[in-house]
Amino acid sequence: MKRVAVCAVAQHKCDSNIWQKRFQGMLLDVLEDIKEQTGMNFSEEGGVKSIVSASDDVFDARTISDNGMTDVLGAHYREEEKMAQEGLNGLGYAMSVILSGHEDAVYVAGHCKESQGESRNMCTNLSYDPFYGRAMGLDYTNVAALQARAYMEKSGLTEEQLAKVVVRAREWAAKNPYANATKQVELGEVMYSPMLCDPIRTMHAYPVSDGAVGFLLASEEKAHEFTDNPVWLTGFGCCMDSYFLGDRDLASNFALKRAAARAYKMAGITDVRKSVNLVEVMDCFAYQQPMWLEGLGFCGDGEGGQFIDDEGPAKYNVNLSGGMLAGNPVMTGGLYRAAEAVLQLMGKAGDHQAADVNCAVAQSTTGGAGQFHTVLVLEK
Amino acid sequence: MAKKNRNVGVIGIGQTEYSSHKEHQNQAEMVNEAVRYALEDANITLDDIDCVVHGNMELFEMVHQPDMWHALGSGAYGKDQLRITTGGTTGASLVCAADNLVASGMYDVVMAIGLEKLQEGHTTGGITNMADPLWFRHLQTGALTATTATMMMEEFGEDRAKRAAMKYRILMDKHACLNPRAHRRFGLEYDQLEDLMNTSPKLVGELRLIHMCSQSDGACVMIFASEEKAKAMCKNPVWIRDHITVHREETFNNFGLEMPEMTHHYAGRKLFERNGITDPVEYFDVFEMYDPSAWWGLDWLREFLQLKDDEHLKLLEDGEFDLDGKLPVNPSGGVTASNPIGATAMLRPAEAAMQIRGDAGPQQIKKEVKHALASGFGGTLWSVLIMLEKDLDWQEV
Amino acid sequence: MAEYFGTAVEDIFNTMEERFIPEGTHGVDATIGYNISGEGGGNWKVTLKEGTLKVERLDAEVTGCAVTLNAEAETFVGVTLGKIDAGEAFSGGKIRVDGDITILVNVLPKAFRQFTPVIWARDILATVRERFRPEKAEGVNMKIGYDLSGEGGGQWTVVVKDQTCDLKEVLDDDCTVVMRMEAPVFVDLNQGKLDGATAFTSGKVKIDGDIGAAGQTASLFEKYVAEGAAEEKGEELISLKCVPSINQRYATGPAVGRWFDGLKEKKFYASKCPNCERTLVPPREICAECRVRCNEFVEVGPEGTVTLIDVVYYASPDPLTGKIRETPYTALFMVLDGASRDESFAHDLNPKDIDRIKPGMKVRPVWAEKRTGSYKDLLYFEIAD
Repeated sequence: MKRVAVCAVAQHKCDSNIWQKRFQGMLLDVLEDIKEQTGMNFSEEGGVKSIVSASDDVFDARTISDNGMTDVLGAHYREEEKMAQEGLNGLGYAMSVILSGHEDAVYVAGHCKESQGESRNMCTNLSYDPFYGRAMGLDYTNVAALQARAYMEKSGLTEEQLAKVVVRAREWAAKNPYANATKQVELGEVMYSPMLCDPIRTMHAYPVSDGAVGFLLASEEKAHEFTDNPVWLTGFGCCMDSYFLGDRDLASNFALKRAAARAYKMAGITDVRKSVNLVEVMDCFAYQQPMWLEGLGFCGDGEGGQFIDDEGPAKYNVNLSGGMLAGNPVMTGGLYRAAEAVLQLMGKAGDHQAADVNCAVAQSTTGGAGQFHTVLVLEK
Repeated sequence: MAKKNRNVGVIGIGQTEYSSHKEHQNQAEMVNEAVRYALEDANITLDDIDCVVHGNMELFEMVHQPDMWHALGSGAYGKDQLRITTGGTTGASLVCAADNLVASGMYDVVMAIGLEKLQEGHTTGGITNMADPLWFRHLQTGALTATTATMMMEEFGEDRAKRAAMKYRILMDKHACLNPRAHRRFGLEYDQLEDLMNTSPKLVGELRLIHMCSQSDGACVMIFASEEKAKAMCKNPVWIRDHITVHREETFNNFGLEMPEMTHHYAGRKLFERNGITDPVEYFDVFEMYDPSAWWGLDWLREFLQLKDDEHLKLLEDGEFDLDGKLPVNPSGGVTASNPIGATAMLRPAEAAMQIRGDAGPQQIKKEVKHALASGFGGTLWSVLIMLEKDLDWQEV
Repeated sequence: MAEYFGTAVEDIFNTMEERFIPEGTHGVDATIGYNISGEGGGNWKVTLKEGTLKVERLDAEVTGCAVTLNAEAETFVGVTLGKIDAGEAFSGGKIRVDGDITILVNVLPKAFRQFTPVIWARDILATVRERFRPEKAEGVNMKIGYDLSGEGGGQWTVVVKDQTCDLKEVLDDDCTVVMRMEAPVFVDLNQGKLDGATAFTSGKVKIDGDIGAAGQTASLFEKYVAEGAAEEKGEELISLKCVPSINQRYATGPAVGRWFDGLKEKKFYASKCPNCERTLVPPREICAECRVRCNEFVEVGPEGTVTLIDVVYYASPDPLTGKIRETPYTALFMVLDGASRDESFAHDLNPKDIDRIKPGMKVRPVWAEKRTGSYKDLLYFEIAD
């Protein structure tokens, strides 16, 4: 199969309250950044004519919110499709736009302002059916707590191991200029932080975040016009689990395992532990880091807890960006993961650059308790 | 244009009936009904589907990430699934996406689902929320405007323009009356033309109630497969030849002293140029157009089809857009008959594909349909055009 | 023609064809005679054979049938409509049956749908007083006129006043609203066979006067149910009503922020593209054409030239208050002085100018006395004389 190149990425620094900009303002910064890096233009002859945006109408509190983005996406008189999911799917879709022969370059940009609405839990409560799930008060936080409990029982994951995940995330976040929560914390602080939604503590949860992120993708033939240091997108897969929590085995990683299997197959990866040396997972809550790593195949079933103690995250260069725990908005959680992976593969990750990285996996999730997962494989 | 990596065929189509309300089923059940029809039509099972593409507007039904709940009926369980929404154009976006996903080689069989249950929300309010919250939201009136009516009356004279718009409306209703799935079937007759022209209640200026599209509930599903799979699985796949999407800037600022080229015209111009089509009226055998009102529909025929002056009015007046005319327009009845927004722009290529297959039902065009055009509309006057073909025999330009 | 309970004997036989259920007569081969005496009576012969039906009116008494029913016209109609108990009529000798009675008891109910009498507009209107819901009419004073044409038509006025309701067989001159349609359309609407919005949109119903009042009438009366009609029991459908809302705090950003600042000083600021010099009103951060950031702001207006006029009759809710806006109101498209020719700006027109406004006219803004930097600072535009 032909390859798709990432020619550049741009990240807006995440913050818990970017009050001074509309979401358009964040996206404009990202657009300018990509243009400056690559000379990208949108001319009819040879320019970018296809744009994929990623955002969510409920978080934007605006119907068809990509209507407000046309200008800052460069999409005036051009093609633009809005991925109304977490944005990693936008990268997967953009791959198809290029591999199909439809276009040879795609600009992908996602954003989310979690600070705009009164409560992100009120937004995610609206994803449940109005008759039962909503009335029960389900949202992505309290549903995650059910999964956290189920996974802790399955894997023996302890409070201390969860605290380790958070402490390490903050350490790496401090080196990442785009991360939100960079304040250093100690194990005890995490372990005794107030309970948010048992067993999830406040410091186990990612902070409310605003941000935007952009990518320039191109065909193998076109990529050299923008960069001499491309990163290749070689595998993509995603998967949907059941809706009703009672229909699911919450600790099983059903959807993630399938999404990963498809992405690895497309990329020709047979042994992920041998081939992959950098992983970015969308760990909105601390328990998710070991659980998603297990689903991605970096440790055996039910071994996520032990994996933390065995320094698994260090071995596979997991979340050197600080991960979601350091604060990215939920609709772009996977896009920030992929952006970090691209920088690492390009050797542009600065203070948090890992050595000898040539194959990375970025993962994201949408829906309650990982109902839906996406996996992207990136290579040097 | 760049050469398509591989050809993509439509192998299954399923639609619910469209109606003003469907209290007998919830959203996931409505999706499931259309999915089952499409699988039956393609004579395959969910096992054959590699990926599902889903789309509807969150703020119309007030459900965040509705694909999660709809997974109960969409068949996405255990499968790859993408969700794309672009307003009115959503259904067309889903078709373009499915085409790209299959052509890319990433998936062999993709099922696209467009839906809306407009009864469950406030549609005009939902559309008003499309505008910037700080300024334009206070001015907007949903999708209602008479600017096109005013401009057409200025250009062609009040009487001729009003007659043409109403003739177009009655023609659409005549087509809708043939379509068993259409939502609104009034049974309008041409002898009512003058009466309706003068007495149908005014919404905005000369945009009257009868001119405007409905608000409907319903879902549409299309299944796409690679050439190899399509030929193996289906006797008469319909081929997606090409598609183009053209958006424009955020605001409705285009009513100044000089007017920019409409996206409709731009889309047609670029698409026909890169496919070597010089006379679209001659080339295409059917046009399923997203016509949110009779005025817009009539005006956009000129834009899409690259017509000059009053050519579109003449074609209408001469009956050339009728079922037995030169270029039948909207045998399905179009959007003034049925408008489940997230599905509406998918109905266009779906109905066009059924015309090519020859099994469109009572609204089937009598002469053979080989080349079809379908359009989508949304946002601030955005356009999508999709070309469908009966045979894989077109010449690359 | 003699009628009993509003129905003629003929009606019952004339509707047999449409009430016939062919699949209900499988294996049936029978003739049924009817000798109906008295005013409006007559003789009929009905033949059922393997899913086919023949209804004949004869000049003389029917004989030689498998079963023959003899009755007075009033009894026959009454029994058919369920107004007279069939068993009692039979026992009391008011119905006499010759031949195989099981055909009447077993075959007929399967072969025909229940006869339902023709309903006339006047029958429906006659029930408005009893269907009136005074509790819904608090503070409502209106006269609803009905002008029904065609067979069974006529003119009526329903007067709702002080939580009472009256019906007059005349169309008053001072009706709040008059609904005009063909009488059968009125009947279909009241029987739920035709949807009100559909009838209105397609021109089958014309409304003169206050459309809002017309919409209100439905809530003032109980639904009409034809006398003797069995209420259809469908599956009970439940719908849940709720209004989800999440408070928002929108950022203005630098461009819209500048716009609101300008409004406080009665000034319009546009952003200007450094590349094509196009102005954007209200200002935006970027020129969509050139894809470059706009940092420069220029003052435009305050007067403008009208390009297009939209007179809005449709009552939509005001997003600021949720209240239905007063109609008609007028939305103007204009080019502000000093702004790019292809860049229109939209706002409302002072209602007093609605009859005079024309494209090409100059308009000027009318400002709120107290301006706080919000949408409300600009009231509307008016013709600049």
